[in-house]
Amino acid sequence: MRSEGRTVDAPPEAPSEFVEEKTLGWGFWLAVGWIVTVVGAAALAPYLPLKDPQENFLIQGERPPYSPSLEHFFGTDQDARDMFSRTIYGARVSLVVGFSAIAFGLLVGGSLGMMAGFLKGWFDRVVSFLFLVLLSFPALVLAILITSLLSRGLQTISMTIGILSIAPVGRLARAATLVYAERDFVMAARTIGAKNTRILLRELLPNVVIPMGAIALLGVAIVIVVEGALAFLGLSVEKGSTWGKLILNGTGTRVLESAPWVAFAPICALFLTVMALNYAGDRLRDYFDVKELSL
Amino acid sequence: MKYWTQRLTMVLALMLAVSMLTFASMNVLGDPLFNILGPISGDRKTPENLVKIEAAEKQYYLDKPLPERYVRWLGDFVTGDMGVRFAATGQPPVTELVKERLPRSLWLVFMAQVLALAIAVPWGVWSASRSNSLANKASTVAAFGFVSVPNFALAVILYYIFALKLGLFPLRYDASASFLTRKTQLLLPALTLALPGAAVYQRLLRTDLITTLQEDFILTARAKGVPRRQILFRHALRPSLFSVVTIFGVNAGGMIGGALVVETFFGIPGAGTAIVEAILREDFPVVLALVMIIATGFVVLNFVVDILYSILDPRVRS
Repeated sequence: MRSEGRTVDAPPEAPSEFVEEKTLGWGFWLAVGWIVTVVGAAALAPYLPLKDPQENFLIQGERPPYSPSLEHFFGTDQDARDMFSRTIYGARVSLVVGFSAIAFGLLVGGSLGMMAGFLKGWFDRVVSFLFLVLLSFPALVLAILITSLLSRGLQTISMTIGILSIAPVGRLARAATLVYAERDFVMAARTIGAKNTRILLRELLPNVVIPMGAIALLGVAIVIVVEGALAFLGLSVEKGSTWGKLILNGTGTRVLESAPWVAFAPICALFLTVMALNYAGDRLRDYFDVKELSL
Repeated sequence: MKYWTQRLTMVLALMLAVSMLTFASMNVLGDPLFNILGPISGDRKTPENLVKIEAAEKQYYLDKPLPERYVRWLGDFVTGDMGVRFAATGQPPVTELVKERLPRSLWLVFMAQVLALAIAVPWGVWSASRSNSLANKASTVAAFGFVSVPNFALAVILYYIFALKLGLFPLRYDASASFLTRKTQLLLPALTLALPGAAVYQRLLRTDLITTLQEDFILTARAKGVPRRQILFRHALRPSLFSVVTIFGVNAGGMIGGALVVETFFGIPGAGTAIVEAILREDFPVVLALVMIIATGFVVLNFVVDILYSILDPRVRS
């Protein structure tokens, strides 16, 4: 009589209408492609068929800077140095600073934040207050302060910017840990007698690492910009050229007017890289549903 | 009431911590005596230099232990005396310098915020009301671009287009010009600071507006035949400003940081250039005063935003 007997199984849910499958999208892969290209070019620069970034390619009877040509894709600067290879070589310092600073921030801020979120109590209060103190300085002022008091080597600059990233990264790690520490699998681990260290490293870390990875990409972008700003103020790495220093070199009124490519080649490289990092980080954040981000 | 007392205590504790950190780092990592006297500071053997050293130590209280110096400095600072500069003459006093430089930077940030809102509100409303068109996709990309462009790069780009090529703005800031001219000179630097801010506000406003536009009261208004423009600006805009208010304070802090770079590039003698100059010359009293003022402003601004926030949404207080 009743027709229900035949359809015991629940009807399959219509997926396409309600659950939109999440993808990273082609824009993400484009951005990743650009980042890989830049990092690859920067890492392999000495082995690529590039012109020497320090050599002066003077042409008899003509005054540099020379405009872009087949010989010099991005033109040359006031000293007739090839802007194309200078831009690629400039990426080296900027990227090293960017990635090592964020690695430092992830290591210190991440572990402090995770411990604060897990242990709670007075430790949490102290660490959270410390983060707030760090966040009360405008980042750039703090960076200028530290770099001016210490030396201006590559390590100091990376560490300085790394210190800046402790607080934002730490707060995110703390928030993520707080959420996961309430979950059943942590309780389960505790019931079977797991120690705190084990819970932190084996249960919580793998879950916190994912949102941290997304924020790391955004962080690298911010760090590259801060380094550029420091360079622009004449406070970045003393040796070697960075994108910031290259841009500064091209911004004298006379150079900018007669040879805008000297400033605009590194500006474009910097802009595209920062945008790619931002976009990739943004997509990852959406994909993994990371909320509560305050950089 | 208890909530506010707690918050206020927190703000004061933060300020104390910031000042201690700055004071200590500059006194421990730097060498104040060297910055005042120059190379002779290490020479205690020559009697005449020793006299100078001891006089300087007395004048700047360098012979006292660090905590005592800190308390002295804090007492002076709170009563409005920011001390004497380390520069050879000690003139002008830090307070005078701050009085001269700070208003320019405040004007700059104020103009930037006004510009940012003036751009963001119409832009956000427009893009929320046409949320699927092709032009809107372009506007999303543009907003993303503005968020990603570093302020020093944007400064160079805007300077190149508007000052060098179009000649709409003067090439250098002229501090001796008349009041109105000085303010128009600030327009281009303010725009540099405003564009990224505008893009952030626009994105937030757009998201909130799209949610608001799906509410029943909008449907009611539409059913009553209220004109579209009026629905957008009179009915939907106000309840959608929540996120913008929240981010406003944070963004002002970011703009102060950006002002350092922008002022230096455009040659505006404001607090930003003062801080950069003072740091390069290791003129610590100036750095200390300005860092404290900026940090205080930043913390207080966020406190005010918190108050606004809890007035708009009383649930935050619990």
